[in-house]
Amino acid sequence: MTESEHQVAAGAPAPSDEPEAGRPRRRLRPGDFVLGMLARGSAAGVVLMLVALVSVLVYSALPSLRAFGPSFLTSSDWRPNELERPVRGPDGKVVIEDGEVVTETIPPSFGALPVIYGTTVSSVLALAFAVPLSLGTALFIVRVAPRLRIAGPVSFLVEFLASIPSIAYGIWGLFVLAPFLQNHFEPTIATAARHIPGLGWMLSETVNVGGHAVDRPVPLTGRDMLCGGMILAIMILPIITAVSRDVLRNVPRGQIEGTLALGATWWQSCRGMLRYSRSGLFGAVMLGLARAAGETMAVTMVIGNNNQIAPSPFAPAQTMSSLLANEFAEASSDLHRAALLEVALVLLVMSLGFNMLARWLVVGGGSRTAAAQ
Amino acid sequence: MGWPVRAGRDQETLNVMKLIGTVARTAAVAGTMLVAAMAQADTRITGAGATFPAPLYKRWVVEFEKVAPNVKVDYNSIGSGGGVKAITDKTVAFAGSDAPLNKKEIDALGGEDKVVQVPSCAGGVVPAYNVPGVKEELKFTGDVLAQIFMGKISKWNDPALASLNPGVKLPDLAITPAWRTDGSGTTFVWTNYLATQSEDFKSSIGMGKQVQWPVGQGGKGNEGVTAVVQQTAGSIGYIESNYATANKIAFGSVKNYAGAFVKASPESISAAGAGAVGKFQGTVLSADIWSQPGDNAYPIASFTYLIVYKDLKNVKSVEEAQAVVHFLNWATTSGQTFAGQMDYAPLATPVQAKVAAALASITFQGKPVMMPGQH
Repeated sequence: MTESEHQVAAGAPAPSDEPEAGRPRRRLRPGDFVLGMLARGSAAGVVLMLVALVSVLVYSALPSLRAFGPSFLTSSDWRPNELERPVRGPDGKVVIEDGEVVTETIPPSFGALPVIYGTTVSSVLALAFAVPLSLGTALFIVRVAPRLRIAGPVSFLVEFLASIPSIAYGIWGLFVLAPFLQNHFEPTIATAARHIPGLGWMLSETVNVGGHAVDRPVPLTGRDMLCGGMILAIMILPIITAVSRDVLRNVPRGQIEGTLALGATWWQSCRGMLRYSRSGLFGAVMLGLARAAGETMAVTMVIGNNNQIAPSPFAPAQTMSSLLANEFAEASSDLHRAALLEVALVLLVMSLGFNMLARWLVVGGGSRTAAAQ
Repeated sequence: MGWPVRAGRDQETLNVMKLIGTVARTAAVAGTMLVAAMAQADTRITGAGATFPAPLYKRWVVEFEKVAPNVKVDYNSIGSGGGVKAITDKTVAFAGSDAPLNKKEIDALGGEDKVVQVPSCAGGVVPAYNVPGVKEELKFTGDVLAQIFMGKISKWNDPALASLNPGVKLPDLAITPAWRTDGSGTTFVWTNYLATQSEDFKSSIGMGKQVQWPVGQGGKGNEGVTAVVQQTAGSIGYIESNYATANKIAFGSVKNYAGAFVKASPESISAAGAGAVGKFQGTVLSADIWSQPGDNAYPIASFTYLIVYKDLKNVKSVEEAQAVVHFLNWATTSGQTFAGQMDYAPLATPVQAKVAAALASITFQGKPVMMPGQH
């Protein structure tokens, strides 16, 4: 999809909107001038803000960018304190010179892999829970509810979910969802998984104990990756539902009637509808993903805040935004602060990527279908 | 459309004039009041820093106004790091910090002879736990706590715990350590103490305001750790002693240097502080008081500090300088009563004497600062 196609698609039905050439130029009134300048100023201000945000982030993250380079994205060490430990020789024994143990100081080290993993997995989990629910709701609103005259109330309730503050979801997650998962849901799943071969990874974690990797069962705490994913799912439901509802409404009536006229069952016609608007729906999902990746407070409260990469959904984890919420206010050194800002930069780039992809799919997809008519 | 007709325009002008008149009168009244308020000469001094002693400092501010009614003290609990940064930038009169200034920070302030740092009170860090079915108070040693937080002891019925707590039926339950995710003086004290008790802990986890914990769950602030402990069967976390007492959270006793199992209390923490008086030198007072000798001394304790410039160049007037010195002197003597009431450990009398000597060295533009009534 190119820009010119886009313009043609948008401009074709209403050519009368084009300004007439050679029309005498009206005298500019003071009010027009002020409003025009205000509008230009506001637009420039918004762009400037984004540019300032990115440049300040990059500038502040420079010490960390310089210190760790690309290994920042692949290292899983996140240790803000210096370590002083005895030097060990090739034989694994402590080196002793002049009767004293030789020690080495290991500087702080920062790597973002665990939080990139945490953000990715919790967001994907959220999508796995939210997408079927959202698409089902959207389909219900577009195809079923109008006949029952409840499309309005259902839409309103779904959008109402979006207006609940994040912290409220967090408190609910901490005091209701997490204890429920810990006491009822997770023990049941764990008991079932024990009898199914190949699911052992869900129940054990590898812990680095004094330099040795030890496998042990995951304590079921309820505050873990699973709980984080579930809370995120509830939070991204409204946006995915609202956007997919609008995308589905834009499916031309002729298309639906056509499928029905060809003898499609209700289900087959719905499937046709979903297939027809798949790129728009995918965009809706991407918008949800972007929201999930950036969500902070609620996740911080329920995900367990442990910077580790554990395959088990019952192990505590950490996302990029929860790491920032936890550590930024009391960052222990300039390098620590810079590393946190670099995490923010990575998060910004990731969210920007999701949003651009979503925009391209929703807007581009929409005009593509319009152009096809 | 367009401008209003002439008569209406005059009316409008009249209204605008009236409005301007009202605004001007209001401003004049407000200005007079402001001048009157300033004439009463409230001296304002600002401090910022550590959150751990903030409840006590806020109480001090209120009580101090009864002693010196014309002085207003503000304390912003922005965290120890923020406090040290604020005093380095000279945006506050005094700073609070849980960890004593390190070499680099002292240099940034102008060097050892330009800074006064005094302890204001002491606090302890306690192991709080949630073990269903255990009614008795559990006993710990530093080494066992270090092994729990390294993941080496991972079950409550581990022989090491069982032998410390004979007669207690410990369950076969996984241990979930709970720790602070934000940088904090609490973590600083906890890790420093554990490092003195276990070489392994020192070399694999180390000491600091924030470290990399291999196992368990993180919580933000005392309240975050407390939430993890209260909600998770089998968890054990470290929290400030006064927070635990104020919120009625059960915690265990720890074996001290002398070999006795001691529970944290204002008395046992003060006892730990009293032993450190010999370590105070010059005007930058600092002493590590974990694992101190003394039968009653609680082993996981530390001072929290107040920091000012020795020459108060960061305040504007001699009145402000007097107010700072007066407040610090009052807080570290008479103010100590409130420390005990609020479950902080007051400074022992010999420590108070050292603090008074350090505060006496403070000057304003090179001249000693006289306190009210000292003329």
